[in-house]
Amino acid sequence: MAASSSIAVPAPLVALAGWVLPGSGYWLIGQRARALTVGVTILVLFVLGLLIGGVKVIDPPASISSPLNAVMQKPWFVGQILAGPVTLVSASLGKGEGFHASYARMNEIGTLYTAIAGMLNLLAIIDASHRAAQREPRA
Amino acid sequence: MTHLAPMLAQYIYQPFYKPLPAWDLWYLLLLPLCLAIAIVYKSIRSDEMKSVPRQALGLFVFIIVVMILTGGALAALVNILR
Repeated sequence: MAASSSIAVPAPLVALAGWVLPGSGYWLIGQRARALTVGVTILVLFVLGLLIGGVKVIDPPASISSPLNAVMQKPWFVGQILAGPVTLVSASLGKGEGFHASYARMNEIGTLYTAIAGMLNLLAIIDASHRAAQREPRA
Repeated sequence: MTHLAPMLAQYIYQPFYKPLPAWDLWYLLLLPLCLAIAIVYKSIRSDEMKSVPRQALGLFVFIIVVMILTGGALAALVNILR
């Protein structure tokens, strides 16, 4: 069994940490082997997506003033943003000069990799938060 | 794709800037995706991290086999309907 921390960390903090850096939610509750395995795998998957399709596969909606329209406009971005701030950094980088948009299969596969990385991170966030909540002392 | 061959020969891949020139081998990109899904899923589900490599490998093989069988079945169905 992975080493466990004796300090109870609030579940929302674990969830937030898991979003900021994939796997770090597990690290906070002392499950370091799980944290490294999940975190490294998710980040590698995300970076592979960027290598396959280019940074431009991270394509944020033009405006989020109307969230429903934003989701309808760029549905894959919902999955991608779950991978954490690395998505926002990539989206910001992609607006720069020299980045070429990809099309057809390479774009689809790059988008799929990055969105699945985000959705796997959502699973990890939920699981780490649940484990943290089970360890919290009850009032 | 043959008419594009001269153009593709001049293509210079720049990581992160340009897409990977794997147009003919795109189906192989399924492998790392399935492996990552298997590793993360089994890491989340397993209580013991020691058992994750074996379980993840099993799930990886299962996903690939099922996808190949599904692809074959759909291809057969398309041929029958054609």
